[in-house]
Amino acid sequence: MAYIVSFILAIVSYMVIDNVILSRYFGICSFIGVGNKVKSAVGMGLAVTFVTMMAALVCWPIYTFILVPAKMQYMDTIVFILVIASLVQMVGFFIKKKSISLYKTLGIYLPLITTNCAVLGVVQNNTAYDFGRSMANALGTSLGFVLVIFLFACIRVRLEGANVPKAFKGVPIALIVAGLMAIVFMGLGGMIDLGSWGLI
Amino acid sequence: MSQTGYIIIAIAIVVALVAIFTISFVAYIKTPPPAGCERGKGPNCENCEQSSCRFYAYAEERAAKKLKEEKPSTKKGNE
Repeated sequence: MAYIVSFILAIVSYMVIDNVILSRYFGICSFIGVGNKVKSAVGMGLAVTFVTMMAALVCWPIYTFILVPAKMQYMDTIVFILVIASLVQMVGFFIKKKSISLYKTLGIYLPLITTNCAVLGVVQNNTAYDFGRSMANALGTSLGFVLVIFLFACIRVRLEGANVPKAFKGVPIALIVAGLMAIVFMGLGGMIDLGSWGLI
Repeated sequence: MSQTGYIIIAIAIVVALVAIFTISFVAYIKTPPPAGCERGKGPNCENCEQSSCRFYAYAEERAAKKLKEEKPSTKKGNE
């Protein structure tokens, strides 16, 4: 029971408190680039969730059972990049062949994720964890990505109709919004004490 | 194992991963998109309904320009 509770708390913690975008500053490019329309933000968020989970599922065993016994931990970054890139292409290939609805939702976003540092960041962090915690990290991080990019897109859609000074229109006001969101999320810090649950 | 052995294993891992990536990339590129999801190249994709695509704005601009160009000629025709 305690393990399940700590698993759920870890997911919430990675999702809200230690958010991948607003706290760890990963995936900013897609956050700013795609977060201007709700539909595209949700599509990108779903694609990132899918690829992050798959990458965590594949990369953790590769690191633990191949790189560590062969004493090649120094190769983790290049191996993870190649694994993520291959995984994205394979998933794209199967989606193209088998699922029209998924292709319509994720199709154009999948190739973009190859260079999304959020996925690589999660996989890199997972090398220090056990399998359960690495999956919690992957799930919480991707849900946090979806949450923040969705909220950001909603705000940006409303800002399109707002009377913003000319100098702040577009990306400048988006960056100000991102900063305010980071402050808001910072206020949630300390909500869950991971140390007391044995998660640190 | 000797240092050379580890280096050979490292190179083999990288080569294997690059080969897997190349195969999957070629397979992805060569697979045609499902029916109804075909996209043209660049600004010529007026049939696409994916409004979040970066080319979609260009297609809309082109359509608006076309409409503007057509309007004066129809006026002349009416006169």
